[in-house]
Amino acid sequence: MKFKRLALLAAVCATTLFGLAACGSKSSEQSGDKTTITFWAAPNPPQVKYWKKMATEFEKKNPKITVKVSQMKESPTSEATIQSAIASGTAPTMSENITRSFAAQLAKSKAIVPLNNDESTKNLMNDVVSGRNMTKTIKSWKFSDGNQFVVPLYSNPMLVGWRLDTLKKIGIDSVPKTYSDVQKVADALKAKDPSKVVYANPTVVDPTAYQRWFDFFPFYDAASNGASFINGTKFVGDKDAGVTVFKFMQDLYQDKELITKKTTDPFESGLSVMNIIGPWTFPNWAEKYPNLKFDDTYTITSVPVPDEMADADNVKTYADAKGVVLYAKATNAQKKAAMKFLKFVMSDVNNDVSLLKLTSLLPARDDASTNSAFKNYFESNPEMKVYAANVPNAIPAMDNADYNTLQEKLGNDGWIPAVTGKKTPEKAWADMVKAIKGAL
Amino acid sequence: MVGTKNKTLKVTLNYIFTIVFLLIMIFPFIYLVLNSFASWDQVDKHLIPTSYSLRSWQWLFSNSVTVAPAPWVQAFLHTFIVSTITVFLMMLFAVMVAYALAKIEFRGKKLVDNFILFQMFFPGIILLIPQFLLITKVGWIDTFQGMILPTAVSLWAIFMYTNFFKAIPDTLIESAKLDGATDMQILFKIVVPMSKSITTVIFLFLYTERWTTLLWDMIVSKSDSTVTLNVLISQMFGPYGTYPGPMYAASVLLTLPLILLFLLFSKNFQEGMQYTLK
Amino acid sequence: MKRRNNKLGWLFTSPYLIFTTIFFLLPLFWSFWLALTNWNLISPEIKFVGLENFIVSFKNAKIHQAFFVTYKFLIVFVPLALILSMLVAVLVNRLPKFKGVFLVAFFLPYLSSGVVTSLIVKGILSYNGPISTWLRNSFGWDVDWLGSPTAALIVVSVMIAWKMSGYYGLILVSGLNSINTEIYEAAALDGVNGWQRFWKITVPMLYPSLYTVLILAIGVSFGIFTEVYQLTGGGPNGATNTWQMEIYNQAFVNLKSGYASAIALIAAVVTFLSIGVLRNLIEKWGKHYGWN
Repeated sequence: MKFKRLALLAAVCATTLFGLAACGSKSSEQSGDKTTITFWAAPNPPQVKYWKKMATEFEKKNPKITVKVSQMKESPTSEATIQSAIASGTAPTMSENITRSFAAQLAKSKAIVPLNNDESTKNLMNDVVSGRNMTKTIKSWKFSDGNQFVVPLYSNPMLVGWRLDTLKKIGIDSVPKTYSDVQKVADALKAKDPSKVVYANPTVVDPTAYQRWFDFFPFYDAASNGASFINGTKFVGDKDAGVTVFKFMQDLYQDKELITKKTTDPFESGLSVMNIIGPWTFPNWAEKYPNLKFDDTYTITSVPVPDEMADADNVKTYADAKGVVLYAKATNAQKKAAMKFLKFVMSDVNNDVSLLKLTSLLPARDDASTNSAFKNYFESNPEMKVYAANVPNAIPAMDNADYNTLQEKLGNDGWIPAVTGKKTPEKAWADMVKAIKGAL
Repeated sequence: MVGTKNKTLKVTLNYIFTIVFLLIMIFPFIYLVLNSFASWDQVDKHLIPTSYSLRSWQWLFSNSVTVAPAPWVQAFLHTFIVSTITVFLMMLFAVMVAYALAKIEFRGKKLVDNFILFQMFFPGIILLIPQFLLITKVGWIDTFQGMILPTAVSLWAIFMYTNFFKAIPDTLIESAKLDGATDMQILFKIVVPMSKSITTVIFLFLYTERWTTLLWDMIVSKSDSTVTLNVLISQMFGPYGTYPGPMYAASVLLTLPLILLFLLFSKNFQEGMQYTLK
Repeated sequence: MKRRNNKLGWLFTSPYLIFTTIFFLLPLFWSFWLALTNWNLISPEIKFVGLENFIVSFKNAKIHQAFFVTYKFLIVFVPLALILSMLVAVLVNRLPKFKGVFLVAFFLPYLSSGVVTSLIVKGILSYNGPISTWLRNSFGWDVDWLGSPTAALIVVSVMIAWKMSGYYGLILVSGLNSINTEIYEAAALDGVNGWQRFWKITVPMLYPSLYTVLILAIGVSFGIFTEVYQLTGGGPNGATNTWQMEIYNQAFVNLKSGYASAIALIAAVVTFLSIGVLRNLIEKWGKHYGWN
């Protein structure tokens, strides 16, 4: 009897096993005239929310297309996840969160669709660009072969936040603008509130390539007034600016005013008074730190600059600009459906208002600061106005397909040893230039 | 009289030491559970949070204002399905192979025996990449088969069962044979029921191991439709990094079933362990 | 008398035979072949590059580092695990009652997932987390737990030693149980003190259990992945970059499957030889005590 029961159990297990598998493979293909497309949203919870909402609204109007939205995994980075998915043939139909650099890399291995050239996407691509008013914006996304692989979605200047409440307590009334101003904050903190520090950011010593976008480039772009770092396949970095930034960070670090240990929400909890902040942080604050109020407890301003640039207007910074791509393994029907979905999302300005509201990301459109549809939003969210005003000052990522290796060298040979005082700023810069030139 | 008093004192002290040490050792679990129930401004602030709320748990399952929920419940079910089926297959195959190795004479048995030992000491890391390619080639990436089948034989379980079965007297099997029982019947009606305690031990070790596997599941699972809870928590480390409370809640969800299962079988486990350690 | 039955024997072992052919032998040969190519998983072209992958990895500083990191883990983790589990075993063994209950409770850490432990450690050790804040405020100690190479290695070792302590403790308890108490009584009459008693009686008598624990712990230190992947990413500066971590990164992040296979082969040989040598040493130590 027992054996019979066991055999039965085995049979049940086996059928569930293969039954589940069958379900799995069926749903990802097209059945009948219904098309299913998969969309990977950025590993940022509010963005997942936004795309799920868009998908539901789109499906209501297009019952023949199913859009499956899921969050892009990080194992250990979203770039690595996408590449290994492509390698194993499990890439989605489309995904967001693609920088210009990463797109260059994907395009090189023919893993994404040239949207302006592909038969099934060509016409719809034109509709998307004109429908969202991006004729100018899209120019900076054109690749050297003249193709367009990315539909730009948003572009965020990286700015600096200051804790006004702490500054006030230690007797500093004006928001720091130059390196000397920051030094003054450091001195005042030491004298009056030594438990707090100027800046706490563990990713500063993380060698992962993309981290440099958020810790090095904002300062470099500001100090060099927007000079390129790598132009095509040539290193053109501004040495003076680079060394100055290295030295500024090294001083802060050696002064124990820059902490690189793992910290939990250092700026939000008041441990540090300064931080590099992207606008996507705000939805999280609204939920977790409702006590943070713009112009009251904190403010947003441009990145600090060397003293001799004290009078500079329009301080430059790094632009966190991302877009949507279609992956090459998609069928023609899927490509068409994907572009239809994008057209639906992008041709209605109200969807961009939703994007702002849900994610605080600035839509990449030519009329982002002038379109009246956004007026109400910016009025009730003054911190976002600062970001919108800084869009023209923002410099996008390098357009080199090997950006990963290059930025790893930047981190390992230059930035990290310079910040942590293992090398002099000059030596770190020289070593880094050598390493990068070797890789180019 | 002084002697007994001294002895009682010594025993009491022993208990106190052991309990204190035990509390330190299981403190991470206490910390985990307490922080999943802590108010958000208390998470990771004190060793014992001072104020509590259900917010992390509600947040985990609800569609909050800012965040779409990750498929925690689905992932939990996937973990359950994958672990249960895999461990079931492991045990089934292990008793069959072990029965043959312990109770049946056949040509090549020595070879199989030695090869199992060789494999047990073989560094499995070599196999990772080609196994991944194999799964990719047959289209099993992102499927349950891909997670289950390549892990469905446990050499350790075969080894343990073989040693145990060897101790079962042959006469028992011979007499059952005379009664007309087939080998399958003997195995599942006589031999397996006799090995209850060791089965518990093997089952618990295998289940724990499979439930908390990261590397292989991470490589095979590519989407929400197959992701296991352990992999999901791992992949949400970054994106949900600013939500430690809910992450702790998800971790409780992962850890609790194993603890319950273990406590449920703890009596058999103790007996079995004593046997296996002899 | 066992029965001779070839057909039945092969039938019953068939699950193992099929499994081993498909998931062991086939991948094994495949990986030798892969190691000789430059395949990057995506590209349709596969070029045969001979021994280049091996030459490159022998020269690569990262591989040298992985080689040494494994031994560093061995040196830190094995003694830690031994001390913790010994403590568990000795404490529990001295209790007249409830031994089983305590053993079960001490076993619980074994049920934790490395991912979850990493999450807890990351929170509890963060600069503004409970332990760091307390150390800073009470003693002025400012430890960079995961940012200093030595500290990170120790943190990861402690995490794994913690997980294993109850399991190893259980093995040691059964060893302690089997020691005849008369030996202790005889030794007491000869005036042997506690420390001598531990080294001259307990350790030699406990050798079989110690052997099991040591072999298990050594095996663990050659296969560290989850905690490192989750918590340090192999950093800071490669200080916790184990073989598994390097292989994972090369194969699944950089997609260099040929190169990664070459590293895996080197890692396997190193692991196999190291464990063999260590086992021999431990067995020699046992012979010294009269165990074979």
